[in-house]
Amino acid sequence: MNTEKLAPRAAYLLVGVGALLMLTPFYFMFVFATHSRTEIFNLPPPLFFGDSFLLNLQILTEKIPFWRSLGWSLYVALASTALTLLFCSMGGYAFAMFEFRGKQPLFLLVMGTMLLPSFLGMIPTFMIMDAFGWIDQPRALYIPGAASAFGIFMMRQFIGASIPKDLIEAARMDGCGELGIYWRIVLPLLAPAMGTLGLITFIASWNNFIGPLIVMRSPEMYTLPLALRSMQSPVNTEWGAVMAGSAIATLPLLVLFAISSRRLIDGLTAGAVK
Amino acid sequence: MLVSPFLILFLVFGVFPLVFSFYLAFQTWEPTAGLSSMKFVGLGNFAFAITDEWFWKSLKNTAWLAFASGVPQHVIAIPLAYFIHTSFKRTRNSVIGAYFLPYITSTVAIAMMFGTLFSTDFGLINISLRALSQLPGLGWLISGEPIDWLNRAENVKPAVAIVVFWRYIGFNTVLYLAALQTIPKDIYEAATMDGARRLQQFFYITLPSLKPMIYFGVTLSVVGGLQLFEEPFILTGGRGGTDQAGMTTAMYMYRTAFEFNDFGAASALSWLLFVVVAVLTWLTNRAFKPRDGSQ
Amino acid sequence: MLKVRPPFRTSLRFLMAGLAGLTLVASASAQQTLTVAAYPAVDEIAKSAIPMWKKKHPDVEIKVISRAFADHHTAMTTALSTSSNLPDVMVVEYGFVARFAEGGGLEDLGAAPYNIKSQQAHFVPYAFRQGTTNAGTVVAVPADIGPGTLLYRDDLLKKAGVKESDLTQSWDSFVASGVKIKAATGAYLVAHARDVKDIVIRSDIKPGEGLYIDNKGKVLVDTPRFVRAFELAKKVREQKLDGKIGAWSNEWSEGFKRGTIATQLSGAWLAGHLNNWLAPNTKGLWRAAQLPEKAYGSWGGSFYTIPKVSKNKALAWEFIQMMTLNPEMQLSAFKSQDAFPALVDVHKDAFFDQPIEFLGGQKARLLWRDAANKITAVDVHKLDPIAEEIINTEMDKVLDQGKDIKTALADAKALLERRVAR
Repeated sequence: MNTEKLAPRAAYLLVGVGALLMLTPFYFMFVFATHSRTEIFNLPPPLFFGDSFLLNLQILTEKIPFWRSLGWSLYVALASTALTLLFCSMGGYAFAMFEFRGKQPLFLLVMGTMLLPSFLGMIPTFMIMDAFGWIDQPRALYIPGAASAFGIFMMRQFIGASIPKDLIEAARMDGCGELGIYWRIVLPLLAPAMGTLGLITFIASWNNFIGPLIVMRSPEMYTLPLALRSMQSPVNTEWGAVMAGSAIATLPLLVLFAISSRRLIDGLTAGAVK
Repeated sequence: MLVSPFLILFLVFGVFPLVFSFYLAFQTWEPTAGLSSMKFVGLGNFAFAITDEWFWKSLKNTAWLAFASGVPQHVIAIPLAYFIHTSFKRTRNSVIGAYFLPYITSTVAIAMMFGTLFSTDFGLINISLRALSQLPGLGWLISGEPIDWLNRAENVKPAVAIVVFWRYIGFNTVLYLAALQTIPKDIYEAATMDGARRLQQFFYITLPSLKPMIYFGVTLSVVGGLQLFEEPFILTGGRGGTDQAGMTTAMYMYRTAFEFNDFGAASALSWLLFVVVAVLTWLTNRAFKPRDGSQ
Repeated sequence: MLKVRPPFRTSLRFLMAGLAGLTLVASASAQQTLTVAAYPAVDEIAKSAIPMWKKKHPDVEIKVISRAFADHHTAMTTALSTSSNLPDVMVVEYGFVARFAEGGGLEDLGAAPYNIKSQQAHFVPYAFRQGTTNAGTVVAVPADIGPGTLLYRDDLLKKAGVKESDLTQSWDSFVASGVKIKAATGAYLVAHARDVKDIVIRSDIKPGEGLYIDNKGKVLVDTPRFVRAFELAKKVREQKLDGKIGAWSNEWSEGFKRGTIATQLSGAWLAGHLNNWLAPNTKGLWRAAQLPEKAYGSWGGSFYTIPKVSKNKALAWEFIQMMTLNPEMQLSAFKSQDAFPALVDVHKDAFFDQPIEFLGGQKARLLWRDAANKITAVDVHKLDPIAEEIINTEMDKVLDQGKDIKTALADAKALLERRVAR
């Protein structure tokens, strides 16, 4: 048996099948978005697209300020991503490259916060937001998130692994200031990691509902997950509309992913050629 | 200092809840009575938790789930990322996209979809299993009987593990892909010229270079796995399934806080979980200890 | 420095002028807002009240903050915990009233200036009782209730030669009928054996006893009603009379559509849902009856409350009165959202006499009205949610793993007593 030839083919097949499996539930979400409530709860459930999409859309926009919530989600997610990328890359760089007093325990403390489930932090977070007067304001959503333990952890790992210290040393000896080193040398090399972290942050912000639940008081300030959830009654949810809303809510993420995966490719060429 | 903006935010928004929760673990508090109703009970909450049968059950569940969903993720994600990295050039984006899609789907949609897919009599999963069991050779491995996924205690855990795996495999693959792209091509070229075959290159070049990322990914999976909340919550309708087979510690915490209205106990639980996670993270650290600076 | 004190009358005039000025400013001030926090579908009902409200208070805007059911109560718990960011009017569901009431964050509506107790006779007795704490303070006013009913498939019963009275005479005859129905039609008696347990434990509750715990803190889960409930459920399972189907799942709704579930014990509102979207194809095949063995229970219900820290209590109270005491509002909520009115005055309306097409023309509302008035209030305890969880877990073990009932209930008792002792 020619294993050298068979292995890649088998690999292709497996990966392909895997991809299809990954897509299946997703496919159903879009299918459900085009059916009415009754049809969704049929067994077997509908397998192909139906004709109720526009109807669902109508119900959706009647029940909640859908497009407005979409706008808020977009705004908060963009701000969150920008801030997080900035702060975490700076912080990660510092943790990876410098030695300073209390570095280890500090980092451990940061990691420690990752261990606290978000809902337990609800009440203290609420208290802080209230004290600052940030209730019902988007900044309560994107500012705290910028100090993401996950983000700084990821940045530190990436920087530690892929940015050679000699390069930094050389730049320092050339008289480049710290901030300049960061801006001109470190950041470009970080491109793939930034792309990934940016994507992850955007998604986390987009799908986050606990944050807005605590902080937002007015329905017109809701972000998408909260707005979609507010349509769910214990007994009387318009599932078709909810599915339609969820499906539309996924689209910007898809677009973003399509864009940023191209950036990941650019990162490949930039990172591989030293 | 570069780190200062991060630190300021962190101290305000990260440390305060931590301290508050720590303080709360020693109180008994019924939230709807307002802040002033907290009563100091010392280690009472902890003593209660340690002797609580549900707590230990939830830990077992959590450990099982974390392991069952975490291990396959990394074992599969690394070779997967490698294949995509090396073999898929034109279709790369779509393939990655397909794997990444589950991660960006919202929990509401997931709950609905998997509720349907796991349906006993008509869910696609059971139907596919039945079809597969008809294939020669697989018949003895997979029974054609419909599996009651969500209602039977022993099936709930695998069901949740499947959903978690589905959700995060793409995430880990993307992480590894990003890391793979930083491995310079020249090393591979040099190895090929030296006569090393693909498999050898994988084990001797790729894996070691991926070590920092593996450390990162595994730590995330450990921490995330031990804190599993969303997936079991939505699949079991917030209850934890029959005999609480699907109740993870995080879910138990949530219910203690918001359904049983005992915030003090919930905080104590979270700190106990914290200890477990800290220990495991430390172990992971020992296993994968990254060397600072260049390799 | 020499202070010139103006004579008394002048200062009085100043004061009056000042006060007058203030009131002028106050009434001419920008629009006031009354915030009402609710969940679907009560939020729709509240919104539908806005036109009527506007006629009385054109300058007060009603802002309805709507969240998913669980989210709403989580957010309210959070707000109550810090006594901030609370709405002026808070809608609370039946299951949460006890918890929120015991916290002490809600206004006592039995005291002046509300004096709701004087209006007590207008409400369905158990519902009013439900909003009253053990100390006698009325913290919540009922708006809608969910009187329990037995919905059954008349065509399936006929095929099996079973009469309605066979179903309702006693639990034993209920189960016996189930055997006949299964044999003749293949349909399950109930969706899940647990449903039977849920009702039987609510029957025969003695005064001073809560559902799981009595008012002295004694755990009641090994009393006869629990034993009977477990035994009946076990029998149902052993005879294969339940589909092991959870409510609101695909199997459940499909069971209705295909007629594989013969009865459902539930709140009366289920009939509306079956008609609207769950199983519209089964129109005319269902009937409603009272629960077996003269049991009367309730499924949910919404209450209106005022948080103590609200700054618009007078207006909030007016709104609440409008939603709960105004017959027009109550009736329209019933017609549009199937929210069974807690206001007894409305029960005389001709709407109740109308035949319901989905139920084959049966005048079921009369049935439900009757049931509503016969439901006895059950004292609620803040440990009820945990107790329910404990009992359901033991129930599962008995049903799925064949655990012995006496052991199961003893274990449940031990678990619950641990928590009561805290």
